[in-house]
Amino acid sequence: MTGTVFDIKEFAVHDGPGPRVTVFLKGCPLRCRWCHNPEGLSPEPQLLWKKNLCVGCGRCREPCGHEECRGLGRCWRKCPKGALSLSGRVWEAEALAEKLRRSAPMLAAMGGGVTLSGGEPTMQWRFAAELLDRLAPMHRAVETCGYCSGEAFGAILGRVEYVLMDLKLADPALHRKFTGVDNAPILRNLELLRASGKPFLLRTPLIPGITDTEENLRGIAALAGEDPVELLEYNKFAPAKYDMLGRAYPLPELPAPRTPDLSLFRNVTLSRLS
Amino acid sequence: MLTELRSYILNKEYYKYRRPSGIDFAAEYAAEKLPPRARVADRFARICALETPLIMPGERIVLTRTITDPNAIFIKEEGKERIDLPCIYTKDEWLAVKREHFIHEAGYLSNVIPDFAQILSRGLLDYKKDADEYACRMIDALIGLTDRYADEARRQGRDDVAETLARVPRYPARGFREALQFLRAINFAAWLEGNYHVTMGRFDLYCWPYLRADLESGKLTEDEALDLLCDFFLAFNKDTDLYYSIYRGDNGQSFTLGGVGRDGKPVFNTLSKLCLKASKALKVIDPKINIRVDKNTPPEIYELGSELTAVGLGFPQYTNDDVIVPGFERLGYAPEDARNYAIAACWEIIVPILSADIINVGALSFAKVVDRAFHGALPTAKTFDEFYAAVESGIRGECAAITGRMQNVWFIPSPLYGLFFPVEDISKGGKYNNFGIHGTGISTAADSLAAIKKYVYDEKSVSPADYIAAVDADFAGHEDFLAKLRYDTPKMGCDDDYVDSLAVRLMDSFADALEGKRNCRGGVFRAGTGSAMYYLWHAEEIGASPDGRRKGEGLGTNFSPSLYARTPGPFSIIRSFTKPHLQRTVNGGPLTLEFHSSMFATEDGVRKLAQLVRSFVQLGGHQIQLNTVDAATLRDAQKHPEKYPQLIVRIWGWSAYFVELDRRYQDHVIARSEYSL
Repeated sequence: MTGTVFDIKEFAVHDGPGPRVTVFLKGCPLRCRWCHNPEGLSPEPQLLWKKNLCVGCGRCREPCGHEECRGLGRCWRKCPKGALSLSGRVWEAEALAEKLRRSAPMLAAMGGGVTLSGGEPTMQWRFAAELLDRLAPMHRAVETCGYCSGEAFGAILGRVEYVLMDLKLADPALHRKFTGVDNAPILRNLELLRASGKPFLLRTPLIPGITDTEENLRGIAALAGEDPVELLEYNKFAPAKYDMLGRAYPLPELPAPRTPDLSLFRNVTLSRLS
Repeated sequence: MLTELRSYILNKEYYKYRRPSGIDFAAEYAAEKLPPRARVADRFARICALETPLIMPGERIVLTRTITDPNAIFIKEEGKERIDLPCIYTKDEWLAVKREHFIHEAGYLSNVIPDFAQILSRGLLDYKKDADEYACRMIDALIGLTDRYADEARRQGRDDVAETLARVPRYPARGFREALQFLRAINFAAWLEGNYHVTMGRFDLYCWPYLRADLESGKLTEDEALDLLCDFFLAFNKDTDLYYSIYRGDNGQSFTLGGVGRDGKPVFNTLSKLCLKASKALKVIDPKINIRVDKNTPPEIYELGSELTAVGLGFPQYTNDDVIVPGFERLGYAPEDARNYAIAACWEIIVPILSADIINVGALSFAKVVDRAFHGALPTAKTFDEFYAAVESGIRGECAAITGRMQNVWFIPSPLYGLFFPVEDISKGGKYNNFGIHGTGISTAADSLAAIKKYVYDEKSVSPADYIAAVDADFAGHEDFLAKLRYDTPKMGCDDDYVDSLAVRLMDSFADALEGKRNCRGGVFRAGTGSAMYYLWHAEEIGASPDGRRKGEGLGTNFSPSLYARTPGPFSIIRSFTKPHLQRTVNGGPLTLEFHSSMFATEDGVRKLAQLVRSFVQLGGHQIQLNTVDAATLRDAQKHPEKYPQLIVRIWGWSAYFVELDRRYQDHVIARSEYSL
């Protein structure tokens, strides 16, 4: 079957054990206000436009007949300046697996593997499950927000060797306010994850004034218990991708970041990603 | 102490002691018709006598140039390059020399590694037995200068410095500090004699016995040794603006660490480790660190190296013994000599003590050869193989021109430095006299061939005439085709055999074209994958290219994907660039990868970088260098250079302070980093 992928990143260093190839599946049920991958939100292919490279020649508006350009109104392939790119390509699971398997010997030698990320990979869980099956025996990981049905979560969980799962906000109301959805399904899936016995890491992005409050960190620490947590320092710069999608960054000015109190946690690391 | 010394050097505070010699050496020598050895020796001795002993705050490893000649212009027919030493020839004399001989670059000895182990164990006085009157005079002059340094040290109450100088360079070194001071004196003398690309060879091999003895006897702790080593490393940053080079940093002061000895046993030791620590602590561009590795090199060595990459030094550079040693044996180097190889200046490979190889006699422009075949043979070639035959004959033609150009080569003699080689006159040749030729623009050429093969021969969607017209118009009026060529055509670096197999073919043709050729000194020619500064020069020689490269755009640095190629990332790049038969192209020239600096902010990230480099070596890559950059920072540094005096980037085989570079080199680094991985 087919799935929509908006990026494939070789040598991802923050997405699981060892160096990895990370596959970003398009579409996400959450609308976190701080989202740094806005091109991963919509399940549909989208055009990315680097405004500073565009000379306004209009060639991209000429009809092209490409299947992948249908409905986009422009052809990204025609841009002589490289200002346009397509975020979201439709892949057959086997074709994608074949591409990823080319890196298998290197990944095995380095102790790495493939990570499915997004967006939210469980949004396309049937495709993800088929892809993961086709990737075995490579080391497979998933990076998920945990918001999906138990069936979807279980299908992915059974096919990976490692899970990175976000816990953003402990309080259900705040979770609804800042991500658009309730966290009850996430917590249910956390229990499934624990029960699976698979190694995993819980991750909390430190968004100043939103997730880095003492109250929230206490809540996260309580949910995590003995399980390992990674706190990710937040990069305050609005990602360039919002501009390329022609959208405004939804997060207002934030207060200064606080240094998190690591003593609240039993098993925690603090990382700066970018 | 070290922090103070470091800023004293980086802030150039010691420049205030500099003064010109005020002597017109060349005119005197011309009037007296002095032979070359006499000229070199006389200039050296008189400048030593004029030097002002200068001991910087807290400095323990001393000797700094104070006599400069700010008006000295090295005479070169095409253009002018600076060398901050008074000339020993008048312009007319030098042109006469050049009519008689082939003069390579500056005409002085470069890219050779003397027998440092023997120097340290003999002391300079002992060399007077082997020396002629000129070399004797130079030894005396150098010792005279270090004696005056000792007097100045005593005057300043720095008896430690005075005691060290009472021993070296006169007598053998008795410990690590004396060895370092001795090496500093030799390095100082080498440059002052006129030599350039003065490279340091296998430091952790020849200097280790001195450190090991001091550590074992308790004379030094590892921390004390590291402190001394930092002082020694800083010394390589003192006089660099006076050296012959196009840019500060391109001076060839390279250290080669690790690898195996002549006996095949691993070398990497405590001193190697301390070198990496010193570099990381100092964050300065010299000396440049090279690590020799092979498939058995443990992960820890890559991790120590990656820590340097992570702080943004642009080195270490890694060279793979599993490729170089057999490659060197094929070229005729004895196995034990091949095992003992070291890096010359940037990435060129030589054998310490025995090589008088001239590692950079010219450069084959793959891009130009393809450009010529494209314009000449494409309209008539019926098949791609027929077209490729024209490319191959172009490569043979270029190689014949480059190899034939260099006849009757002659170097200004080095009476002093020459003492440290086991031959009569190293400037006239050594055990190995092979010549190296760079190969530039491999990805531009391979990508061009792939596009030609695809559109002209496989798909037949473009006629040769239209294709040539599009390229000659720099794609004006052919924008659709341009976009297709640039962003939708196989590119080297994507692990796509369609194009990678053409790169393999090009490099084989290059090696084939040199095979069996002999140079004017009886040596062979070595094909390489380096670009040096040719990645800009060769780009300027041609217009747009058939791969969609616009006129004026640079070629990739060394052995790298094209600047605008949208590669899937480092795994694919590594697989593409390990496909060629690299044992046949061992002159040197690394795969150059650019990473965003944020990737290695954590220890875990550094460890993963180490794993990546290791897997490159295990896949049979020959050489790799890595840059950590951030295009936004680089752009800001162009606007506000004062904010970034110490921002370091890797250029082609050396690291530089970004703000000191010419705009075109800055722009190239930025273009590379735009597509950073």
